[in-house]
Amino acid sequence: MLVVTSVAEELERRIDELRAAVRKAVTAGERERANALRAELRKTERQWEDALDELAEPPVTTVPRQAGPLLPLREQVHQALTLLGAPAAPKLIIAVHEAFHVGEMVPARLTSLRRDEERSFRSAPHARPYYLCSALSADLLAPARGLLAVSTWAMTTRVIGPLSPRVDFLTSAIRLSEYLSRIPEPGPAARRLLWRFAANIPGAAANTDAMTPAAVAEAADAELQIHQDTDRSHREAAAKRAREQLDDVEQLFGSRLRSISATGS
Amino acid sequence: MDNITQERLNQLRGAAGAKRHNARTVAALTGNPGCVRRAVLDAAGVDKDKLARRVGFPAKFGQSQFAITRGNSFEAQVKANAFAELITLLRDTLGLQIGEVGQTDLEQVGGNTSQEIRHTRSRQKLTGAMTNGESTFFDHPLLTLDVGGNTVYLEPDLVAFHHEGVFHVVEIKSFAVIDDQADGAKVAAAAIQSAVYVLALRRLLGDDKVSHEVVLVCPKDFSNKPVATKIDVRKQLIVLEHQLTRLARIETLVDALPPGLSLDLDNSADDLFKALSEIEARYAPDCIAKCEMAFFCRNEARGCTAALGISVREELGGVETVAEALGLADGTLVASDDQAEAASMLRATADIYASAAAA
Repeated sequence: MLVVTSVAEELERRIDELRAAVRKAVTAGERERANALRAELRKTERQWEDALDELAEPPVTTVPRQAGPLLPLREQVHQALTLLGAPAAPKLIIAVHEAFHVGEMVPARLTSLRRDEERSFRSAPHARPYYLCSALSADLLAPARGLLAVSTWAMTTRVIGPLSPRVDFLTSAIRLSEYLSRIPEPGPAARRLLWRFAANIPGAAANTDAMTPAAVAEAADAELQIHQDTDRSHREAAAKRAREQLDDVEQLFGSRLRSISATGS
Repeated sequence: MDNITQERLNQLRGAAGAKRHNARTVAALTGNPGCVRRAVLDAAGVDKDKLARRVGFPAKFGQSQFAITRGNSFEAQVKANAFAELITLLRDTLGLQIGEVGQTDLEQVGGNTSQEIRHTRSRQKLTGAMTNGESTFFDHPLLTLDVGGNTVYLEPDLVAFHHEGVFHVVEIKSFAVIDDQADGAKVAAAAIQSAVYVLALRRLLGDDKVSHEVVLVCPKDFSNKPVATKIDVRKQLIVLEHQLTRLARIETLVDALPPGLSLDLDNSADDLFKALSEIEARYAPDCIAKCEMAFFCRNEARGCTAALGISVREELGGVETVAEALGLADGTLVASDDQAEAASMLRATADIYASAAAA
């Protein structure tokens, strides 16, 4: 953006110079030289129009659409996280994406994603409708290792207490089951993904063939009932602390300095 | 350890920095308890790998990069999705209740990975667990153990806390359990390594708080499906504690060494060779798998009966060399009093061998 602006400014200066030169040539009666300068002036004005077009359109839309993924990476991650409804590790996000969408998600790009989002938020806070941010550990309010979340979620969803990983696992299992029961014919990749959850929930399914989304959701819900209340009280207390103690950036991306002093206590 | 001994050990090590123990090296201490050379070198924190290279016997030793990667990816798989697979396994093996799913990540403290901070926090969380019972799984706690006066940091894969108030060490290994059978040597190594963690945890929390049963998680057959097995490490604990008290008595071993002895890596190879020979070794064939100095010691022990293995060493008590044993067997040497028993056995063996060879 910055480069384009400076190109347009450069051209404006050039146009001014040329106009002055044309005026001088005309007043001096140098007809040939004036014509040559007019031609040059028209060319520069066309370039200026082009530069202006580039300024008006964001670069993303000018990229020709290819056969690959139609959405940028952050949109894809956002989709996967919205489906799961809870903070998730990059590995799970990739698995969800590959189960329901075409195109590959490169793990290496996911690792830099959170940092890019933080940089973007710091330079222009709240400029985007959502940010991909960290989940925060309930005790230190520091970024929880390897978990991504969405900034529009409630703070209580984004803090992670001791029971939260299991609660989120069960919540995601329920959301995934519901999603699977809504689509007419879930592919093998989607069923495999659900099995990874079902295999580790007591009473969810005996084997892959006998597995039904409804039964998985029911079993997950049964275990969820046991943890839910304790987990909610942990999370609400931590979320309250986070809202009171942290600034905007820290609320999304976690506090790092505070964590060191907290260990001294 | 007193100051004089520490001084002697520093002098022995020379200018190089001390190498720290880890669970593997602490476990290796139990492999050959009688070896003064290993005890002294480890206590002084000498870099044995470099030393062996300097004296011309580099050890083909260490863990392969492929094994490390495989181990890490299996551990990540078992711990993925909030320990989903581990929770299922431990509900079976340890009888964890359905509510026991709390988890505490101790691999870093708010993005900080310094050992002191991680250890402090691990200590807080582990001791706190007994009173508040918030967490059941402690991921990569950092423990400490005093080994010969040095503080060694140890990092078990996982510590699980049971509702009955007992902690269990959980060790995740990537070697396969095929048809309910695993490689004996690897299980033994894992058991002794886990015993080191149990010991460190007991020093922190008290003996009755940490179970002598550790849980070993391995891939089942040729799949990636994990399977958990309980292993009793009481025997390993006894051996370890004995070794550690012995290390604490390192003073006596160091006092017996000639004064001024130095293994500074800047010394010439010849000097190092001579200095090493001053420290008594006790080579056994399984040293090759455990100690960086093994090839040096094997070369030194060539022709000795002890180099043939522990069972041979025990059978031939008092008979030092192979030449001596052969002499006793064919009657060209006369046995002294303490060799009499071994000598009669050797002669009997020689007779049987001769008759069998003749037939």
